[in-house]
Order: sequence, then C-alpha cells, then structure tokens
Amino acid sequence: MIQTAQKSILIVDDEEVMREFLSEVLEDFSIEKACDGHEAISKIKEKQYDLIITDMKMPGISGEEVVQFAKKTCPNSKIIVISGYSSLFSVGNTMRFGISAFLSKPFTIKQIRSEVEKSLEGEKDRESSGEDYHV
Amino acid sequence: MTFLGKFKYFGLREKFVLVVSMVIISSMLIISGYLIKRQNEIYHQELVSRGQALVTSLAYNAEFGVILESQSDLEELLKGVSRADDITYALICASDGRVLAEIGVDKFAAVRDNLAHTEDEPDGGKYRQRQYFDHEGTEYIEIRYPVQTRKQQLSRENLGSVFDYQARDYGSDTEIIGEVCLGLTMANLREEINRSQSAAILLTLMVVFSAIIIMTAFVRVIVHPIKTLVEVTDQISKGDLSKTVDINRRDEIGLLAESFNRMIESLKKSQQEIEEYNRNLEQKIIERTHELEDAQTQLIQSEKLAGIGQLAAGVAHELNNPLGGILGYAQFTLEKMEKKEIATLTPKDYESFKRYLRDIETQTRRCKTIVQNLLKFSRSSSKVEFHDTDVNQVMEETMTFIEHQLVMNQISLKKDLDKNIPIIQGNPGQLQQVFTNMIINALHASPSGTTITIMTRYLPPLGEFPGAIEIYIADQGMGISEENLKKIFEPFFTTKEVGKGTGLGLSVSYGIIKDHGGEIKVKSKVGEGTTFAIIIPLEKKAVAVDKIEIDK
Repeated sequence: MIQTAQKSILIVDDEEVMREFLSEVLEDFSIEKACDGHEAISKIKEKQYDLIITDMKMPGISGEEVVQFAKKTCPNSKIIVISGYSSLFSVGNTMRFGISAFLSKPFTIKQIRSEVEKSLEGEKDRESSGEDYHV
Repeated sequence: MTFLGKFKYFGLREKFVLVVSMVIISSMLIISGYLIKRQNEIYHQELVSRGQALVTSLAYNAEFGVILESQSDLEELLKGVSRADDITYALICASDGRVLAEIGVDKFAAVRDNLAHTEDEPDGGKYRQRQYFDHEGTEYIEIRYPVQTRKQQLSRENLGSVFDYQARDYGSDTEIIGEVCLGLTMANLREEINRSQSAAILLTLMVVFSAIIIMTAFVRVIVHPIKTLVEVTDQISKGDLSKTVDINRRDEIGLLAESFNRMIESLKKSQQEIEEYNRNLEQKIIERTHELEDAQTQLIQSEKLAGIGQLAAGVAHELNNPLGGILGYAQFTLEKMEKKEIATLTPKDYESFKRYLRDIETQTRRCKTIVQNLLKFSRSSSKVEFHDTDVNQVMEETMTFIEHQLVMNQISLKKDLDKNIPIIQGNPGQLQQVFTNMIINALHASPSGTTITIMTRYLPPLGEFPGAIEIYIADQGMGISEENLKKIFEPFFTTKEVGKGTGLGLSVSYGIIKDHGGEIKVKSKVGEGTTFAIIIPLEKKAVAVDKIEIDK
C-alpha cells in the first residue's frame, strides 16, 4: 500500500463529475486534477506523473494533444484514455498512440481499477528489469 | 436629285447601256465631225482646182475668140464647159468689161449682184476668186482668169507656137485682152456632206442600237445569274438551304455560282452538324441531369446517413459523459455499501452517499435534457401552429428572462426595436427559444464590460421581394473562427465546456427559422465579435402594425 500510494496520477477531464469520481475511486494514489488540456500540459511540464488519465474531447487543447505532449516530455508516464466516443480507439489505435489503455465511458469501477493497476505494474516490471540491468 | 444621284439606282443593264451609248455617240460625233470637215475641205479644194483648171483652159481657148470678138465661138466654148455639174455659169468679157459670151449668168445675176460676197481672193497669182451665198445658204465660188495674148503680132511664124499649149508662156510681154469668169456651186458638196452626215447619224444609230442589243444581251448574261444568286441568297437568309444556284458556265460567274453552291453545301453540312450536336447536347444534358440527380439523391442519402451517424455519435458522446458519472457513482455507492455493514456506516459515509446520489441525479437530469433537446430537434421540421406574432413583444419577453444574467455578467444591453415592424405569422414560443439561445450564446461569448446589441428592422416589400423582418443579435465577444463558422449549425457542435452546451441550440434555432421560411446569417471576426441576423419574410396575411392602428 505504501508503495502504491507513492504513485502519482494526473486526471484530465473537463467533466467535474468524472474528475471527482475518478479521484474518489483512486483515492489510494496521489491524485492531481486538470480540468482542460491547457492545465494538463502545464502540470505535465512541472512534474512527471506515473500515470495520466485523460479525456479526449475537451475545449481548447484536446486529449490527443495532451497525449502527444506527454509522450514527448515524459515517455515513462503511462497513459490511459477515457472517452465518450466508444469507436474512437481500436486496439490498433491504442498501439499507435502508445497508450496503455483506452476506456470508453461509461466504464465500471472494476475496469478502471484493473487498467490502472495493469499499467502501473508494467511500469514497475520495467523499472525492476532496468535495475537488474544496471546491477 | 441630280442625274448622278439617280445613276446609282439604275440597274446594271441601264448603267451599261447608258455608258456604252454615250461613249459610242460621242466617239461617232467626233469621228464623223472630223471626217465631214475633212471631206468638206478636200472637196472644196478639189472644186477650186478644177475651177482653176477649167478657167485657165477657157482663157487660153478664148484668146482668139476674144480677139475676134466672135460671140458664137465663145459661146460654143462655154457650152462645152457648162456640161460639168458644178459649173453654174460662165462668161467671157472683153478688157473693157463688155460681155462677149455668157451662159447661165442670167439666172444668177440677181444673186451675184445683190448678195454680199467676200473679197476677191488673189490666189495663185492671176486667179481672182470670191465666194458668196444665196438665200438658201448655198455657197458659190467665182473664179476669174484673164484672157491674154502676146504683144507681138501674130504671124505665120509663130502661129504654131500659139497653138502649142505648153509653149504659151508669154512671160511679161503679154497683154490682157479680156477675162473669163466661172461660177461654181457648192450645192453638190452640201448634198454630199448632208449625205455623209445622214450616213454618219444612221451609222451611229445603228451602232448604238446594235450596241444596246449586244449590251442588253451581255448584261442579261451577267445580270441573270446574279439575280438568281440574289434570290438564292434571300432564300438562304430565310433559312432555306434546299436551293442551289443552277448556272452551268465556265466563266467567273460560273465559278462564283460554283463556290456559292459549295458554300451552301458547307452551310448545310454545318447546320446539320449543329443540329446533330444540339440533339446530342440535349441528350447529354438529359443524361447528365439524370446522373446529377442520382448523384444528388445519393449525396443527400449519404449526407443524411452521415448526419444520422454524426447525430448518433454526438448523442452517444453527450450521453456517455453523464452516464459515466452515473454508472461510476452507482457502482461506487454499491461497493461501499457492500464493504460495510449498514450498522457500521458513519455519518461521513452517509454524506458521501448523498453526494454520490446527488451527482447521479444531476447527471440523470442532464441526460434528460439532452434527450429532450434531441426530440425538439427532430420535431423542428414537423408542423407547428403559426399565428399572429409581434416579434418585438417576443423579444421583450425573452429579455425579461435573460436581463438579470446580463447584469450579473456585467454586460450592457443596447436595444433598438423598430416599432413599425408588421405582425408576422409565426410561433412565438419557438421564436422565443431561438432568441433565448442566441442571446445566451452571445452572453457566453462576451467578456464582461462589453455590449450586446439587439435590433429589429423592417424591410418593406420591393418588387418580387415580399418584405421581411430582420433581427440582429450582435456581441463584442471572442468571435468564431472561419473553420468553426461552417459547423455552428451542425447538431452537437459546441465550443462550450462539456455540460454547458449540448451543441443543439443553433441547429434547433436554424430549423425553427427555416420553418418560418426565413434564414439565419452569421458574420464573425475572431477577437471582434459575432453578429447573427435572423431574416423572417412576411406572409401575405401580414399587415403592417401602423395600418392596423389607423384602421382602428
């Protein structure tokens, strides 16, 4: 628990309900919230998050741009995309964008938790293998 | 009109005949005039020479007769001479003037003495000559020659030489013993000249006549085909290409006719081509029209499908967002409730549950609004009742709902409602919905401190234009980019934050105004503001407000 609590997650969504809901569901992590793409980018600039959960359709800077920016600035951050458009992401697109997972709204608590855990574990695995390499 | 002025109205034939006749007549006049004059001169000269020869011969032969004063011998001599046609009279005088012999003088005496005559013309030395005319204008020439003899006495020795005509040049030692006078008439010459003149005139007339005949025939040969050409040209200009010029000749006119026929042929050909082309064109147009119609139908169909797809996607997205919250909170609540026994729930848990349920409620309401708007949108094309509507009044009512929002956002309102706008046939409720939507849009786009202008205006009928009412809603807000300007009437297009707008407002408004037979126009510049113009045409039933007042 102590380990996971250290993990930082950035939640980007223009829907307040979604932001609140996600932060409550993922209360075990260190959560920060951004209400649009602009805020998200300035936060990503300041800090490297372990995971970024972002909506796609937002006024101003879209989720897509946030993803691209995050991939460039902090390639180690995991990304989960959530969107109201169910058809937006196929498996292929997910691969192409280099994101860990895509969840279409509405999703279940189970789905989001499992995706978050999966992506963070993957991180852990890679980190540990990295450590092995260094040692 | 002068002759030259008239000349150009003559036909070719007349022109030819006139010109050729004039040329012939004038040249004949000149030629025959010259010839007659020449003939006159020659004849005159000949007459004079003959007269001189005669008079000389008479003078020689009369020498002895005069010496002997033998009247009978001399008369015999004169008779022989007077047989010539042109000798009118002859006389022989002695040196003292006595007439020794005469013939024909009596007839002419009066004429000779009374008529003025020209001076004697000393010609050829010894000849004396004079001319005169009788009252008929006939010219006479009188030639005199002296009768001479030698001064020496005639003797047997020289007698032979006296008769030797050639040797009788007496030189200076001669003596004039008398005179021979011969009257010659020019009547024959006159006659001759008259004959010549008549002949010349006759000849001229004949030449002119034959020239006219030849000309006429020739001109006919030229003019006739030209007339044919003119006729055919007329037919062609009337659009009849069936005739050709039928001239079978090898000359220039024949060539002209040939090339004319070729022209007709090629005209026919091109006319046929044009007709063919027109037919093909018509056919092609019909085909293309069909193709276009098909394409249009397909396009409309695919647009509709795309529209439905877009609509569905939009609806899905709009619904999925609140549904996400609803599902999430519902599950979350359930999860929490399952984790803890009801008895162990703390007040804090209750607070959380309450919050979750309130969120669920809010999001559900949002879903309801979306569905309602969607229904409105889909209903916007179905029939709505129209009745007398005062647009200004609808606008005033709308403002009462919105004004406080404007005040709260520190936005001032400028209202300029035209009192003369007529009553229109419309649906006040729907119009209010449109106005509200537009003013709220303007409000959301406007930073505080700016002004929103609302204006109504009456466009009176003009020609085919039935007249209209214009409603302007202008803000000084952020404006709409050109790219977005194209999409603003599309359903679910919104630049507002999710939850703040459904993206259906303008498309619903558009549908309502279309139902009113009107249109919405928008003009926007980023950073300067946006102006929406709603134009609603007047129905025929619409009566101007001021007229109603007058009637009352």
